Amino acid sequence: MTRPRKPSDARILAIDDEPANLALVEAVLMREGYRHFEALSEPRLATERHLAFRPDLVLLDLMMPSVDGYALLDSLGRLTSEGDLVPIMVLTADTSIEAKRRALALGARDIVTKPFDVFEFALRVANLIELRLMFQRLAHQNREP
Amino acid sequence: MMARGVSRWWANCPLATKGLVVVAVPLLIFLGSVAALYTISRMEARAEQDVRLTIAIQNDVNEVHALLAEASSGVRGYLLTGEPRFLEPYERAERVVPQVTERLRGSIRDKEAAVHLTRIEVLASQKREGLSLLLAARERTGADIVGDPAIAAGLAANKQVLDALRGEIESMQDRERELLAARQERLDGVRLNGLIATGLLTLAGLVGSLFAVFLFSSGIVRRVQRLESDAVLLAQGEALDEREAGRDEIGLLAVRMIEASALLRAREQALREGEERFRLVIEGVRDYGIFALDPDGHVVSWNNGAERIKGWTSEEILGRHFSTFYPGDDAHARSMRNLADAVRGGRTEDEGWRVRKDGTLFWANVVITALRDEAGALRGFSKVTRDITERRRAQEALEHARQEAEQASTAKSLFLSRMSHELRTPLNAILGFAQLLELDHSGRGKTDAASIDQILRAGRHLLALIDEVLDIARIEAGKLAMDIVPVALGETIDEAVGLSLLEAESHGITIRHDVGPMAPVAADRRRLLQVLLNLLSNAIKYNRRGGEVVIGAHVASDRARVEVVDSGIGVDPGQAGDLFQPFTRLAAGAARTEGTGLGLSLSRTLIEAMGGAIGYAPRADHREGACFWFELPLTAPSALPDLLPARAPLPSHTATRPLTILVVEDNLANAQLIEALAARHWPEARIVNAMQARLGLDLALRHRPDLVLLDLHLPDMDGDWVLRELGASFPDLPVILLTADALAAQSDWAAHGASAVLTKPIDVPALLEAVEQALMERTA
Repeated sequence: MTRPRKPSDARILAIDDEPANLALVEAVLMREGYRHFEALSEPRLATERHLAFRPDLVLLDLMMPSVDGYALLDSLGRLTSEGDLVPIMVLTADTSIEAKRRALALGARDIVTKPFDVFEFALRVANLIELRLMFQRLAHQNREP
Repeated sequence: MMARGVSRWWANCPLATKGLVVVAVPLLIFLGSVAALYTISRMEARAEQDVRLTIAIQNDVNEVHALLAEASSGVRGYLLTGEPRFLEPYERAERVVPQVTERLRGSIRDKEAAVHLTRIEVLASQKREGLSLLLAARERTGADIVGDPAIAAGLAANKQVLDALRGEIESMQDRERELLAARQERLDGVRLNGLIATGLLTLAGLVGSLFAVFLFSSGIVRRVQRLESDAVLLAQGEALDEREAGRDEIGLLAVRMIEASALLRAREQALREGEERFRLVIEGVRDYGIFALDPDGHVVSWNNGAERIKGWTSEEILGRHFSTFYPGDDAHARSMRNLADAVRGGRTEDEGWRVRKDGTLFWANVVITALRDEAGALRGFSKVTRDITERRRAQEALEHARQEAEQASTAKSLFLSRMSHELRTPLNAILGFAQLLELDHSGRGKTDAASIDQILRAGRHLLALIDEVLDIARIEAGKLAMDIVPVALGETIDEAVGLSLLEAESHGITIRHDVGPMAPVAADRRRLLQVLLNLLSNAIKYNRRGGEVVIGAHVASDRARVEVVDSGIGVDPGQAGDLFQPFTRLAAGAARTEGTGLGLSLSRTLIEAMGGAIGYAPRADHREGACFWFELPLTAPSALPDLLPARAPLPSHTATRPLTILVVEDNLANAQLIEALAARHWPEARIVNAMQARLGLDLALRHRPDLVLLDLHLPDMDGDWVLRELGASFPDLPVILLTADALAAQSDWAAHGASAVLTKPIDVPALLEAVEQALMERTA
């Protein structure tokens, strides 16, 4: 972690109960050159996987049958220690403004409604990765002046 | 007949006349008596005088006789003696007798006596002549008289005359005695008559007085007594009989009393009828149990409705305590609590279960009203009971139905949201992978590229369908909140045209637009834009290549009318009615145009949700093409009420002056909106407008407003300057600031004296709230 990282080194965890969507996300990300990707279709294992995988970006579907997406968003946000930043991007088929507001209020860094434009999605992912890396560099500089 | 006439006349005489008559009758009788007595005494006096005269005549006659007799004897003595001393009686007789006879002539009225007197006078003068002859003979003869024949003859003649005189006098005396006796008798008669007359007059006086008393009694006293008894009857409320009462004051009084009695009777009758009617109404009411309670709660009256509702007849229930109607063990306590509430508040209303005679329960609405007399003492209670079991059941059913409908609506919303999600999720993969394929299709054949393009197009179409179905469903379910604000139609049309230009260019279409000046429309801006885009898109898609689209707007009465006219092939009149139905597409265009088939349907739903109307018309100029129009309410006073809930009137501050609100705002649309709101919500308020800061300040000084709405960005001076100036002149004047600058709204304006800060575009409920709040505080 101490050496400077490239965006392609970023670790991305995608949580979605729909395997087709996970496959699409993976396909897009692979195409963009990201190499560390983990797809999780069982959201109940999200916390466990998050702790094990230590992602730089989480892609989270909000409407899943087995868990409350908002509660999961909240709990995943809390896994990040104080002074650290792991952006969470919400992918949702819920187009209502309430859903957007709620997700953003609970700590989501971005929200993309499904079906999404793959270019737009890729750009937003890149933005969040950049944010994550800049944050890490800043934290690193602060630690070692 | 006559007597009745008189009696009527008497009754009709005024009291003054009656008094005069009553006093005059005995008075007249008394005067008559006095006159009669006077006459009688005069008659008596005359009779007495007659008697006295007769006696005087007798005396005079006797005196003549005596005088002549003495004169005769004196003459004889002289004859014998020759002494002149004996001549004295003769001389006296010569002197006195004529006097006496003269006197007698004056006093004698009786003819017979007068004849006697004449004779006496003759005889007396003969006697005096005889005596004078005797004396003359004596003179001649001297002393020797005896044997003298002259003397003897004279003496004899004298004697004869004297005897005749004596006889005459005696007969005259007799006559006078007769007269005296007759006069005496007459005097006696007159005295007796006088006595009788006096007695009769006394009797007449007595009778007259009695008559007067009778008159008085019959004319006044009896009638006054009757009047008094009438008054007593009247006081007791008895009716007085109609009767002849005379036209004098007492009669008039009696008539008035009879009239009063009739009036009282009529009123009493009316009152009784009113009470009867009231009683019948109360008793006849069947839907309401109306009954009265005494102050302790015992039933004292009962009507049909009460009997119908509660099952008790009035005989059964009268006198029982009304806690009988309450179910449960604490019936008495609860009933008395209700009475106590009624006593405290004057009335109390309660809803709850009550029990019938047969023990069944019903849901009752009960109003108990305390009845107090004029002194405020509690006299009892009136109780009105309604059986609203049915209504309650209906309400419960309604509530149940409402809940079910709400559940259904919620379920529908949930379903729609789920459906959207469920459809979008697979669509995500479809569109996503298709995009990836499209990116990577270089190297594959043209057929693949075309197929990928089909997938993408079909997927996007499906997505549009989902969005529009969801919109329609949300609007129909009332879930789509419309944010109705004043929208400048011209600007929105400009925007829509701008967004449509690209599509128009690709079809070789030119767009013209022509919007007249008008007040803002009341609409949801985003949704209005959506409708405009949809209509423009249709006008472009269904146009001929190189055609044109004209979009215009004008004011039609209190609405704005927007028309989108194209130069396409138009609409078959037979299909025009179906245009706004979902999934209706023009047969001619279906083959070559794309679209969800929901655009017009959605547009109609949106326009109607904004209080407008939408429709299709052939082109007004009869050229080929179609004209789609819609109308939206202008933000005029008459158009707003449909869109905004009514509000309570403003707190009234002073009765003498209308509420004045000063609006300092340079944006015409906003000023018009505020004016429209005021006209709608505070019709009593006067709105004063200023579009510049200095003018606003002048108007404030002139009109002394109750409230100022102040735009912070004015052409001449800043709003905060106006705020400061207003604060200096009117420290208590509430000022509500309006600003389009969200950052400016964050400043601490309250410290500068502002009551509230509102950001533009104006949120209508927030503005109403702020105005009312500010005025409330001002009045408080």
